[in-house]
Amino acid sequence: MTVRPFPHLLLPDLLGARNRARRGERGDLRRALLFGGIGLTVGLALYEGSYWVTGHLLDYAELGDYLLRLGLSWLFLTFLSFLAFSGIVTALSTFFLADDLRLLMAAPIAARRLFHARFARTLLQASWMVVIFLAPVLAGIGRARCAPAAFYGAALLTIVPFSMIPVAAGTAATLLLVNTCPARRARDILVLMGLLFAASLVILLRMIRPEQLLRVESLPDLTSFFASLQSPITPLLPSFWAGETLFAALAGRPDWVHAAALWSTALAAIVVLSAASARWHFAGYSRSQDAPRARFTRLAAVAPLARLLPIAPVRRQLLIKDLKIFLRDVSQWSQLLLLLALVLLYLYNFSVLDLQRIPYMSGFLKNLYALVNLGLAGLVMATLCVRFVFPAVSAEGAAFWIIRTSPIGLGDFLWSKFWTGFAPVFALTEALTLAANRFLGVDPVLEAATSLAVALLSVALVGLATGMGARYPRFGGDPGQVAGSYGGVAFMIQAVLLVIVMMALTGWPASVYLLRQIRRAAAPPPVWPLAALCAAAAIALSLWVWLASMRSGVRALERLAD
Amino acid sequence: MIAIRDLVKHYGRFAAVDGISLEVHPGEIHGFLGPNGAGKTTTLRMIAGLAKPTAGTIVVNGHDLAADPDAAKMSLGYIPDRPFIYEKLTAGEFLAFHGALYGLEAGPLEARIADMLALFELARWKDELVESFSHGMKQRLVMCAAFLHRPRALVVDEPMVGLDPRGARLVKGVFRAMSARGVAMLMSTHTLEVAQEMCDRISIIQKGRIIASGTVDEIRAMGGGGDDRLTAVFLRLTGGGALQEIDEAL
Repeated sequence: MTVRPFPHLLLPDLLGARNRARRGERGDLRRALLFGGIGLTVGLALYEGSYWVTGHLLDYAELGDYLLRLGLSWLFLTFLSFLAFSGIVTALSTFFLADDLRLLMAAPIAARRLFHARFARTLLQASWMVVIFLAPVLAGIGRARCAPAAFYGAALLTIVPFSMIPVAAGTAATLLLVNTCPARRARDILVLMGLLFAASLVILLRMIRPEQLLRVESLPDLTSFFASLQSPITPLLPSFWAGETLFAALAGRPDWVHAAALWSTALAAIVVLSAASARWHFAGYSRSQDAPRARFTRLAAVAPLARLLPIAPVRRQLLIKDLKIFLRDVSQWSQLLLLLALVLLYLYNFSVLDLQRIPYMSGFLKNLYALVNLGLAGLVMATLCVRFVFPAVSAEGAAFWIIRTSPIGLGDFLWSKFWTGFAPVFALTEALTLAANRFLGVDPVLEAATSLAVALLSVALVGLATGMGARYPRFGGDPGQVAGSYGGVAFMIQAVLLVIVMMALTGWPASVYLLRQIRRAAAPPPVWPLAALCAAAAIALSLWVWLASMRSGVRALERLAD
Repeated sequence: MIAIRDLVKHYGRFAAVDGISLEVHPGEIHGFLGPNGAGKTTTLRMIAGLAKPTAGTIVVNGHDLAADPDAAKMSLGYIPDRPFIYEKLTAGEFLAFHGALYGLEAGPLEARIADMLALFELARWKDELVESFSHGMKQRLVMCAAFLHRPRALVVDEPMVGLDPRGARLVKGVFRAMSARGVAMLMSTHTLEVAQEMCDRISIIQKGRIIASGTVDEIRAMGGGGDDRLTAVFLRLTGGGALQEIDEAL
């Protein structure tokens, strides 16, 4: 019997990818253009951005070198934590929960072969995004510093072991966790931990208060600011070794010490992890197959509260079902924690805006910020919609047959999804806008105008997300992945365009009104007819987007039977 | 009663169902047999309202499914071959949700849920999440849901898959009781013993067309061979010569 090397176990993934690429489907070209275009734009922006920053740092000689080194270390430190967390989550799926494990675990495959194949898959899945992000950034830095060709080779040889180390650490953490609690419970714990980590990271970065750099009077504090930036960078971390290796390669000098530290640590991590996996993987996999009675929250208050709403019984039951499913799925509701952190930061930022530094402009500026606030609220709304409203139809998953075989219209079903999404999105964004405007002390007329604009945007964006979610459903997909699908990206593009149009329709009469306030005289064109015209256009546009999206969504659901 | 006339379903150029007609009368259990890929599930999905026919009509208890889908579905129960249900709901919550879709009032619905869970031996699991159920338990829960609104017609796709012998006997008993109360049942199955034991009439479908229809005895007679077991007849009608090749290959 011939034992094939471990890459043979990766064949199903490779053949599957090849077959998906070969099988042409309607809309493939459109999808490729959309995603390729976005990827290319982001890549170019990163390349140009890193080129521009590195070029400017060259003007500051040694200080520029120091900042570049610091920047590289921070870049790799950020990716180190991202890769470790991504490794934990991916390893949970590839080593313990993947469907094909039933086949592989039953086959006569040596533990080490299985480990190597699974680790290679984990590494690729966990690190591809980091590699794609790093490539244009490093290319931009290399070009700005006129780096030799060896720099690009060194970059490749640095990124590979740099990715292996945190992913191996993440896999080890997963191995430990699964052997101490069931895999499905472990997934909930990991997701929650990860999001709490991300939320605290966001708040921590904000607490560094980068705006102090803009104040002349805070210049003596610059050294302490850099000291606070320097503090998390320790020579014991792989991120430091990667940064140093690349910084040396920029100047054409090889840094064998740090490169050797990277490779030896990576290979040692794999050897140790392989031994640990041979010892504990099967025990963990076996535990992950246990199906103990699931623990869950009863959510007894949901049904009585829903009964207070003046809605039809069927819609009430749809609402209760959606709420319970959402609140019992940790991977769903825990994302609200991150959102909460972002909302707090959003309000905090408005509360610390120091507009009094420009006294003669503060009146105009704070009202200008009200429009910026409208745009930001629109983007928050679009993000909420793409993550929570757009996947609402897809979330029915394989159980959608229950709705389709029952005597309720698909229109009723989709409208129920709309109202379930509309209420929280509208309440949150309207509250955000009002609170931020209060912090700024915005003119009451403008406050009313932005509130109306947010209400109209809520109707339009939630309708657009619901309708497009029905047009591009993915019944088998994870809701997070559904948001990143072709339909989700297409929704985001349309949503951003709509937000821009609404900002223009609010901003045009508002700016005329504000200029008249400043000059204390009538200024052409007359404000109120212009405001009425823009308001009518905004209302008409929102209603059209809302109703047309919902209609096309219902039609798309009806076409599923074809 | 379920009546289908000249039902056709095309996927591109492929005719999954090619002009079939049949009637299932009140109180009748009608077996729908055929090899894999013959068009059984596609036909049942069309009757349940999950797939739109390319041509033909479906009438459920006097309601044309195309013209009045809500009324037709209101009097129909559907049990799919794979019991996908909302994993994050408890059995009781799922049935309450399902009953409300069919317009059942809260009070009587609670009592009906208790009855159904007791009937299918799931009462002690009422407050457990569906995700902790075995395949057989999910299958029985789907059956609870299908009978909850007292349908007058039932479409069942492979009811015995995943059920243990006790569960299978229970389900057979329930189906017989429902049939005695006048429920028309169209049931697809691969288990010919089940069809032989339970069905009043049988239709055999192959390549999207019905090739034989009648009572079990009539079907036996159509087989024409000396062996009167339904399995042997089924294999003769649907091209069972392949079995000999399997024997040789093994």
